Amino acid sequence: MAPAALAEIALPKDVRTLGDLKDWVARQQPLLGAAMEATRTRLIVNQCVAHDLSQALADGDEVAFLPPMSGG
Amino acid sequence: MDIRIVSRAFDPQAEIAAFAAGRDDAGALVSFVGTCRAETAGAAVEELRIDHYPGFSEKEIARLAEETSRRFSCPDLLVVHRVGAIRPGEAIVLVAALSTHRADAFEVVRILMDYLKTDAPLWKKETGPQGARWIEPRSEDYARRLKAEEETK
Repeated sequence: MAPAALAEIALPKDVRTLGDLKDWVARQQPLLGAAMEATRTRLIVNQCVAHDLSQALADGDEVAFLPPMSGG
Repeated sequence: MDIRIVSRAFDPQAEIAAFAAGRDDAGALVSFVGTCRAETAGAAVEELRIDHYPGFSEKEIARLAEETSRRFSCPDLLVVHRVGAIRPGEAIVLVAALSTHRADAFEVVRILMDYLKTDAPLWKKETGPQGARWIEPRSEDYARRLKAEEETK
């Protein structure tokens, strides 16, 4: 899975939480959805690690889905 | 503590010299430099590309460095991590630690490197004659990271 795809979107009507957004992204981009299921994806909201898919989202939030990392 | 992400080639020896200059409070300096190999598993490497998440990558590396150093006696720590296009032979990462005695400095550098391999928000892509591929940590990297977590509890 390739990182660093960037998009600014208007929050769809039915997307209220981080989990909703993840499902929405998977519907829009099935390949990305499958890749997120196949590997450990970390969720980041406004540059902080998110642990809870029920976390509410608001307009202006920055959300990142991070594939496995490889530093060092 | 000095944590930096750089997009141009850097000179690890010059960084280490500047970091250690005038630090007569420390009796030990340990450093690790990771460089780009020209060959991996029998295949030539033409270029390594590292992506980062601006802002978040720096913040997470600083958090890992703080968590590691506060469990040891380590008065100062330097991390320089390269991003962008890297040629074989160039430095990718430098971790250096100062401490009063050697044991703490060795531990901080080793454990922080183990964390960086799996937890630093950076993504490596290797390009060779056969094309490009994303690099994921090896199972031994995850095993070392688990061990590091136990050692820093």
